Amino acid sequence: MTPKRTIEDHLKIEDLLREEYFELLPALRRLAMQLETEIRSLTLPILHNLRPYEQLVVKSRVKECESALNTLLGPKEGRTFDPDRPGGYSLLQLPDLAGVRVLVFPNNRLIQVDDALRDRFADWTPKPIKYGGGSAQAPKYFGYCNEISRNIRGEYQVVPMLLGLFWEVEHAAMYKFRPAANSKDMRNHRTVVEDSLISFENGMECFVRDNIGKYPENPSKN
Amino acid sequence: MKKSDILWQADYRYNFDRDLWVNPKAKKAFSVEFVDDNVEGEIVRRIEQRTNGNGWTFYFNTDPSDGVKRVLEQVLG
Repeated sequence: MTPKRTIEDHLKIEDLLREEYFELLPALRRLAMQLETEIRSLTLPILHNLRPYEQLVVKSRVKECESALNTLLGPKEGRTFDPDRPGGYSLLQLPDLAGVRVLVFPNNRLIQVDDALRDRFADWTPKPIKYGGGSAQAPKYFGYCNEISRNIRGEYQVVPMLLGLFWEVEHAAMYKFRPAANSKDMRNHRTVVEDSLISFENGMECFVRDNIGKYPENPSKN
Repeated sequence: MKKSDILWQADYRYNFDRDLWVNPKAKKAFSVEFVDDNVEGEIVRRIEQRTNGNGWTFYFNTDPSDGVKRVLEQVLG
């Protein structure tokens, strides 16, 4: 007869996952660095041709241990790993343990950056980020860097800069405080902010389009 | 009255690790999803609901598995 499992099983799941995380960590760091280096290199021609008011920032990150555990747990009620779940748990199920975020301003650079990266990451799976009530989307892809690991997936995304910076604060606040994330009021506030940021970014893009030719291509190169 | 106020006044405290409203004395726990999806009257009814007092009662939208119940009972004390 199989003995009844105890609390240690649950703690063991979390501890085993933490152990797995720290075993993976050196490879995760290498993966983040590899992605960042390649993406910086591939976007260098765009960076060199930015106008003075334009920006392109490449940021890499390795998901933190507890954040990885929470993501693996998902939005399940009670936030508790099930000791009886068949197949168990592994952090390798996550597609975004290491990743790169490219922030661009204004939006017309977004497609350019996306295009510049597509050939190198042609076999990666697209999973666009939807925002603005689902009306807009930013490119996001995940896949393997075989030079680093055939088991750990990496991710990269190209996002409008203002939204990307807002999400850095908003995601942490909303995901770590579920009642806020579930609150209709807070969701409305988020939509209002996103709409304003989208409006600013679109406004800048329109202004540039309508006034192209009136200003030198890249005055800093003169 | 807001649902969070109703729970607070009935000595339920928010557990950030599990996203649960918990009252160890009453041995009851409400998931944040259950609280969101039910009206104030239903929350009050469940707070006042008599239980056998032997083990914990979980108010979830989807019943937790036996394994999760076992873990939560021990984690919550």
